[in-house]
Amino acid sequence: MDTAAQLPLLLGLAWLAPLASFVAILFFGPRMGPHGRNAAWVATAAIVASLVLSLFAAGAWLGAHPVQVSHHGSGDVAAADTHAGDHAVDHHPVADSVAYSGDWYTLYRGGALRLSIGWYIDALTVLMFVVVTFIATCIHVYASGYMHDELHDVTDHEVHLSGGGHLHRPGRFPRFFQALSLFCFSMLGIVIAGNLAMVFIFWELVGICSWFLIGFYYERKSASTAANKAFIVNRVGDFGMLIGLMALWGALGTLHFADSQAIDGDVARPGLFSLVRPAAGGHAIRVPDGMVKFAAAAEVAKTPPAEVAGKIEDWRSMGLGRWLLLIAGVGIFCGCVGKSAQFPLFVWLPDAMEGPTPVSALVHSATMVAAGVYLVGRFYPVLTPDVLLVIAYVGAITLFIAATIALVATDIKRVLAYSTVSQLGYMMLALGVGGWAAGLFHLVTHAFFKSLLFLCSGSVIHACHTNDMRKMGGLARVMPWTAGTMLVGCLAIIGAGVPFVIGLSGYYSKDAILAQALAFSRANPAHSILFVAVAGGAFLTAFYMFRLWFMTFAGEPRDHHVAEHAHESPAVMVAPLVVLAVLAVVAGWTLPGGFGLPNLLEQARPVGTAEGMTGGFAFGELVFPAEHLSHEGAVHVTATLTAFATAAAGVALAALMYLLRIISPAVVATIFKPAYTFLAGRWYFDELYHAMFVVPALAVANLASGTDRGVIDRIIDGLAWTARQLAGVDAWIDRTLVDGLVNATAAATWNAGIELKKLQTGHLRQYVMFIVVGTVALFVLASLLFRTSLAG
Amino acid sequence: MNPPLNLGTLLTDSITNTLDVSLPLFRPELCLAATIVLLLVCRMLPVLRHADSAVVALGGVGFGLWYAWCDLKSLPAGGDLLAGRQELFTGLLVYDSLTAYVRLVILGFLALYIVFTRVSGIPDREDGADFYALVLGASLGMCLMSAANHILMLFMAVEMASVPSYALAGLLKGRKASSEAALKYAVYGAGAAGIMLYGLSLMAGILGTCHLPSMAVELAKVAHVGSDGGGVMVLSLGGLMLAVGLAFKLSAVPFHFWCPDVFEGAAAEVGAFLSVASKAAAVALLLRVAFGLGVPAASLGVPAANGASAATLAALGDTRHFMVYVVALMAAVTCTLGNLAAYGQTNMKRLLAYSTVAHAGYLMMGVAAAIAMAGVTATGTRDAVTAVAFYLGTYVFMNLGAFAIVAVLRNSLRSEEISAYAGLVRTSPGIVVAMAAVLVSLIGLPPLAGFVSKFLVFSSLVEAIASGAERPLMLVLLVVGGLNTVISLFYYLRVLKVMTFDPPPADRALEPFPLVSVPGAVVTGLVLPVVGFGLFWSGLYAAAQLAGAFAS
Repeated sequence: MDTAAQLPLLLGLAWLAPLASFVAILFFGPRMGPHGRNAAWVATAAIVASLVLSLFAAGAWLGAHPVQVSHHGSGDVAAADTHAGDHAVDHHPVADSVAYSGDWYTLYRGGALRLSIGWYIDALTVLMFVVVTFIATCIHVYASGYMHDELHDVTDHEVHLSGGGHLHRPGRFPRFFQALSLFCFSMLGIVIAGNLAMVFIFWELVGICSWFLIGFYYERKSASTAANKAFIVNRVGDFGMLIGLMALWGALGTLHFADSQAIDGDVARPGLFSLVRPAAGGHAIRVPDGMVKFAAAAEVAKTPPAEVAGKIEDWRSMGLGRWLLLIAGVGIFCGCVGKSAQFPLFVWLPDAMEGPTPVSALVHSATMVAAGVYLVGRFYPVLTPDVLLVIAYVGAITLFIAATIALVATDIKRVLAYSTVSQLGYMMLALGVGGWAAGLFHLVTHAFFKSLLFLCSGSVIHACHTNDMRKMGGLARVMPWTAGTMLVGCLAIIGAGVPFVIGLSGYYSKDAILAQALAFSRANPAHSILFVAVAGGAFLTAFYMFRLWFMTFAGEPRDHHVAEHAHESPAVMVAPLVVLAVLAVVAGWTLPGGFGLPNLLEQARPVGTAEGMTGGFAFGELVFPAEHLSHEGAVHVTATLTAFATAAAGVALAALMYLLRIISPAVVATIFKPAYTFLAGRWYFDELYHAMFVVPALAVANLASGTDRGVIDRIIDGLAWTARQLAGVDAWIDRTLVDGLVNATAAATWNAGIELKKLQTGHLRQYVMFIVVGTVALFVLASLLFRTSLAG
Repeated sequence: MNPPLNLGTLLTDSITNTLDVSLPLFRPELCLAATIVLLLVCRMLPVLRHADSAVVALGGVGFGLWYAWCDLKSLPAGGDLLAGRQELFTGLLVYDSLTAYVRLVILGFLALYIVFTRVSGIPDREDGADFYALVLGASLGMCLMSAANHILMLFMAVEMASVPSYALAGLLKGRKASSEAALKYAVYGAGAAGIMLYGLSLMAGILGTCHLPSMAVELAKVAHVGSDGGGVMVLSLGGLMLAVGLAFKLSAVPFHFWCPDVFEGAAAEVGAFLSVASKAAAVALLLRVAFGLGVPAASLGVPAANGASAATLAALGDTRHFMVYVVALMAAVTCTLGNLAAYGQTNMKRLLAYSTVAHAGYLMMGVAAAIAMAGVTATGTRDAVTAVAFYLGTYVFMNLGAFAIVAVLRNSLRSEEISAYAGLVRTSPGIVVAMAAVLVSLIGLPPLAGFVSKFLVFSSLVEAIASGAERPLMLVLLVVGGLNTVISLFYYLRVLKVMTFDPPPADRALEPFPLVSVPGAVVTGLVLPVVGFGLFWSGLYAAAQLAGAFAS
């Protein structure tokens, strides 16, 4: 079996294994051992199977496409410069970009539209499979320890019943793993999807899973509210995504990423990627014919059909259709804004921390929220320079706002949540400034260290039974493993390392982002603010992460009640921490020989993006420098030093305030009281949205219900009263006249039946007589009816 | 034009024709014949005496079914439909899509039937070989009925189907009722056969031929030339007498008197056989005769040398008009009387007998619509025949299911009275649900198979009205059909009411009937298609459309 056949099989099975586990637990969950204890084993076995299959797939992939030392050599750059603009010359990793695609099952086919369940597999897909299944495996193991409370009846101390007591309910252990399995299935579905329709299906499925999991403790008002908030805010983004989907389908008639083969009667069709970046034009971005015709509908109607094809080029040069492509790109990005918690839709993610911590680690930091970034990366070939600029600015705003809020948050999981939002902003910004590989590289490394951080925080919460960092402190002594691994996580997220020598995984990915942002700023001086945001963000990240670590683990315990009960977590919870910590360190390393994530990602780089891009009409001319240039010379050195300096400054400031206590945080808060209040109030986004959307919506609702009650109900009541009076009359008629008639008819029918029965005497002699009588009757009848014809 | 008569060439021609054309298409019937012989031989040989005759019979039917299936599969679907038509044995039989379909229905029914009787145990071990030999013999006759192309063959086939049935009715040898039923059936059948034979001889005498398509050509000539009134009169009388014979087989009113008595007297298993297979064959024969005489053979692919042409189609208009009236009136009366007489029945088998009569009426409505639309709209005709064919296909399961339930309940309750079923739902809910499915399907309510069948028949009546073919008559039929459906609700639902609401009799010491058992599996297997065809009917509809192709 060749790779093209192997990969869909392996990854398809890896994708379906969690579904099998979901179905099994759904139907047999409560019967799996006492209190469904074995559901954890079923779910874990399924995800381990997925992991193994994904690793096999990765092996198959690497066997067929060995990772090359990247083509960033200076010789290549020189060559690229000589041939600047000459896209037809294929001397870049463009040719290496391999993807397999196909359809498993066609749901619906009508006209040009084909809705199918299919695959699009390239190095990115394989990498995401390995990352998602690996982290999910760790978290399944961790959760089987963390969720043990659910194995027996639970008294939920956060739910206060009206009687004054607390809610007492049966445990929901299998239910948790059921939702987790469904989530894994949905997430892998997004990753493997071969077309946007399938992405959308699984996009919504992860949304539902997220709703289940955030609302796992649904008796708590805060949890059910948070679940609803997450779901509703995501719908806002998905509305934009639907617009994008409609724009693409309406104008292009396909949602497939890659060209589809001709199968059972359907012709081969070009996919989105080759429509927007046709091979004939050297994979340069171009408004597809379909969109041009769509935009020039008025012209097309005037032109004879035969001449339309010839005029498309003219219309294209007039700029027709480019807005449609922009709308499609921004629309799809809207979905990503919702899912990846970008400004202005990031408000749901911190609240989502109401879910159990393993969920926060898997769904709301490492995988689901990264799906938006992944989709931007996957959809990259279709995004025009203008869309990319929008993405970059949204990312920059998000990273700044979230980082500032994280500075003052006191809930350990909320700090991490805002940190997640901020890091997602980093990724979006990287993608938006042309750093395709940098953004996705950061996505992978972030998945490792952020899930590590969350699991560590879970371990802390498990030990302290509180989320409030102000009650912690000095925990390093009682829980050394957790403290150590969390320190690794913090170092990784701030991008610690020895400049130019070696560093933790975050060091490499954050450097790549900084370098690309710097290169972009230099090429487009008008947008240098983007680099400032990245560098400032790096400082803030370092500060708030170490603030968190110092407050939690260093110094003396602040609350002795908490400290006395603290203990190290069981081995089943610590083991995943260690595994993830190791990966948080090494994930960014490139082995001698060139094997490493950046080079693996280069294999999947969308065709036509390696050379950089120029263009844009809505926000002026934009230049996207080629990504490999940012790894060279001056840009790289400046970026690395900036990253190191800002991170070091952030750590130093945190140490001064929280470790050495030289600067008192309280004093700082008093000095900058307005700013502090503003940040502690989380920029008042929730209040703003409440005033802007919730209050007007409620007002309209009240108005409507008032109208309903005051006007419509009155009318209806009046009508009903009239109808009742009429019905009284009618009932009398019905009872006496109609029923009488019906009963009379029924009686008549019955009597007819009984009479007919009497005909059946049972006497054979009479029967034979009846034959003769019948025949004669038939004759008579016929001669009456056909008198004329019988007479000739 | 005829080549010089030469005994030698004539002989060789007929031998090659028989061996190469006729026999291969006759394989299912040959299988049945061989199985009958085998059953009887088994009986005589000491070694094979203990062989299970049901298994032998099922094997033979299996082979036949396989061949019938192959034949149906090899019909050209939607293409040149007339290419599939073959006259066999020098025109005695005709092989076309209708033959293939009805044969498949009969043989399929037979296979199910053998399994069901083996489980319900009505032929004991002693009688098994006789019983199955009779059943297979009657089925052979029914297959021939569906293929008859010659009035001699027609008569032979009817008798071949009837005579074993008489014996079957008397199968319960010890019981007086059974013997009485057999006697009534035989005498009544003999009377009807006599009248039919008389009618046939009248027609053959006037028209000078017994070959149905040739008779149509002659009829057209008579109609065209306009003979003296006497000829037409005699022909009409002959036709009516033929109708009497067919009406007997269909148990159409007023020739249905045998039906309730025979069903009540004979075992439920025999009732199932008579109500389904016999009915299917009789409807097919009615279609054969009606289309053989009413539609010129040219449109059925007989060589134009016979002198038939489109002109004769018009010339036969009066003939068709006559036939439509006879069939339609009989249908309306049969349906109404069947349903009304079912009121107040206390015996389940008797109720089902009247239900059978009523359903014959619905089927004849479809036939009437088909004949009415012949010569007016070809697709309409085809749709009407398709509806009838589909009806037959689903009727197999509905009625066999109903009789099977009666049989298994008889085995555990020792009674076939409706009152004995009171309160069954409390002990055996499964069987009551199965009964409900079958009865509601017989009423024709969605989503069960009976609804689709009835819907198709009524919609072909509407099609006839829309196309203007015999409009007033078809309108009457449609109204009668609708009213009858309402009437029939009552007596079917009464059975269900007794089964569910009435308190169980105090003296019933009944083992609850388990649905998880061999009889339960058989009942389930028969009832599931009733639901299945109501939901997924496109497959059967496609097959029925093939059958309908014979009329286009």
